[in-house]
Amino acid sequence: MATTDSIPDITAPSVRSSAGLLVLLSDMPHEQFKDILAKLTVSFKTEDLIIAGPESLQTDNGSALRFVRAAATNGSWILTASDFVNAYQLAVKNEAHGILILGPESDSLSSSALCGLASAVLLGSTDLAVPRYDLQPHARLITSAILYPLTRALFASHVRLPQALDLGLSLRMAERLALAAHRFSTHNQNDELLWPVNEAAVAGFAVSQIEVGPRAQPQPIGNELNTVLPQVTGSLFADIDAKAAFWQRSRPLQTSADQLPSFAPTSQTPSTEAAAEIVPMLQAFRLAYTNLQEIWQLVLPPSSLVGLKRISTTDGAAFRMPDSLWVRIVYDFLLAHRLRTINRGHLLGALIPLYLAWLASHLNIISSGIDPELHIESLAAAFEADKTYLVSRWRWPDRFNP
Amino acid sequence: MQHVFAIMLQAEPYRAAQPLYADNVSMWRHMSGALHQSLYRVVTLLTTILPGVLAFIVSLAVFTLAGMVISALLRRALVAFRFDDRFAHGQSSVAWAPSSSLSELIARVSFWACVLLGLIIGVSAFDAAYATAAAPSISFLPYFTRIVGAVFLLVAGNVIARFLARSVLIGAVNEQLQYARFLSLGVKWLVLVLTAAMVLDHLQIGGLVAELAFGILFGGIVLTLALAVGLGSRDLVSRSLESHVERTNERSVAPMASPVQSSADPILHI
Repeated sequence: MATTDSIPDITAPSVRSSAGLLVLLSDMPHEQFKDILAKLTVSFKTEDLIIAGPESLQTDNGSALRFVRAAATNGSWILTASDFVNAYQLAVKNEAHGILILGPESDSLSSSALCGLASAVLLGSTDLAVPRYDLQPHARLITSAILYPLTRALFASHVRLPQALDLGLSLRMAERLALAAHRFSTHNQNDELLWPVNEAAVAGFAVSQIEVGPRAQPQPIGNELNTVLPQVTGSLFADIDAKAAFWQRSRPLQTSADQLPSFAPTSQTPSTEAAAEIVPMLQAFRLAYTNLQEIWQLVLPPSSLVGLKRISTTDGAAFRMPDSLWVRIVYDFLLAHRLRTINRGHLLGALIPLYLAWLASHLNIISSGIDPELHIESLAAAFEADKTYLVSRWRWPDRFNP
Repeated sequence: MQHVFAIMLQAEPYRAAQPLYADNVSMWRHMSGALHQSLYRVVTLLTTILPGVLAFIVSLAVFTLAGMVISALLRRALVAFRFDDRFAHGQSSVAWAPSSSLSELIARVSFWACVLLGLIIGVSAFDAAYATAAAPSISFLPYFTRIVGAVFLLVAGNVIARFLARSVLIGAVNEQLQYARFLSLGVKWLVLVLTAAMVLDHLQIGGLVAELAFGILFGGIVLTLALAVGLGSRDLVSRSLESHVERTNERSVAPMASPVQSSADPILHI
């Protein structure tokens, strides 16, 4: 279902002739705004574009671009429910054929990247165009550890960034997302996260992944890992719970044995920089190991606890968390979230030190010369391979748990 | 003891007034009469109480059964309406999410509300039956309600203590405080001591002694913690605070970065 495209021909006549691309922008400085407009007008006729954004962006820019005012959103670091509601309402009101939602600092995207995302939905070949940014090895690590592998294993999607900052949406995709977002809006929870890839998978819509090159990655100011990890992971867990009927039946992506990524363990010593980075992570993990046993015991089976005990004694440079152990940890936390074994806030808080342990292991692996994407693909394959465990325990939670 | 002395004091005039009944037979007859009267009084009291006890049991049983039926019906209805799914879509606060599903909570609350209603009706029926026969019921019912209130206090205190202890433990571990368990235990016992004091006060047991004991104990715990932090762990606390300030400064420069940033490529979690 999900396909990966390079940026299509930006001067395609069909794109030129199709009218009504709504571009929804978040609040940004005027320089960035002008930069984006300039990039958009390279690929699209001005009469084809409808620019929507907060009132603060509406100035006399001297161009013939049509500007419509959109309700202000949080505009911080991620797309939220209110963005999708705004996008759909404005698209219907202005009779747009496709929607391009651009997140904060989207001026760092190239003109061809913007066109690629927009034309994918305007051409009608796809309902959801998700960008794939050129990421630094140390960027989007929660996505690499949890969001991407889970989405891929359960919703059979190869989209590398399930929570992208920019999206291309067909009108029906926007309608579906607005419907999902409306449930939050009615409860005045406009800052809730949506999972467009999961929605598209359940609806059977076509999803494309567009290579867009590098992009600035805005970060939540003032927020910490202790806040962001529970927020994002809790939202994904809740979405997975709501869509259980779908993913229990869906088949994982067909990956033959020879396609499975593999990396040989190397004896190369991690760099001193990497060693310095992982020291506080391992300290956090070991502190948690001595203090959070009683909570982990409620969530994790004995085999996982034994695995944690084994790695807790490993020295810094040699520290590795096996993929199979991390997969079981995430699946068991997902199950505990569903069963409400303990308070969900406590549950997701107890996941943080385990994530730091995975991160330390990941940094050790990539600092020994292994391509980070190779490790993440291998992890995703491990999630897919162990999906039967999740399905079986989801259906029969009280069955004997090794 | 006072009764014994009273009997001893009464023995002389009794003997002087009735010298003809000083034999063993009359003594046994009197004892037997006294026992019979006592037995009669107890049996009479029991027969007076028994309808009230039966009314209490019947009321409790009927309302418990009704609660079970209502709870089961509610649970089925809520599942049929996919209430949990609808609620989950509109739920934002992860930290305050209940530990059971909302439909389960509603079903449980309805069941226990019925049980409580049965308890109240049973007690008032018991009181109505008992009050006609004996004066102590005037003080019995309020004290029974105090016991019920004390049980609620005890349960709520335990639940809150456990919740707060876990919250503090997880929060402190994620802040990398070495004394996380100590903090968690401190919070737990503070809440438990407070709960115990409230329960005793509610039951009016101990009076001023309980209040004083609680004041001394609570104050002692707080003073101990203050001294421990102020004197014994001064270096530890200053190191923790310094590292916390350093981490905060680093985050303000590069948000969401990991504590140690030695490489040029910062760690971005999201």
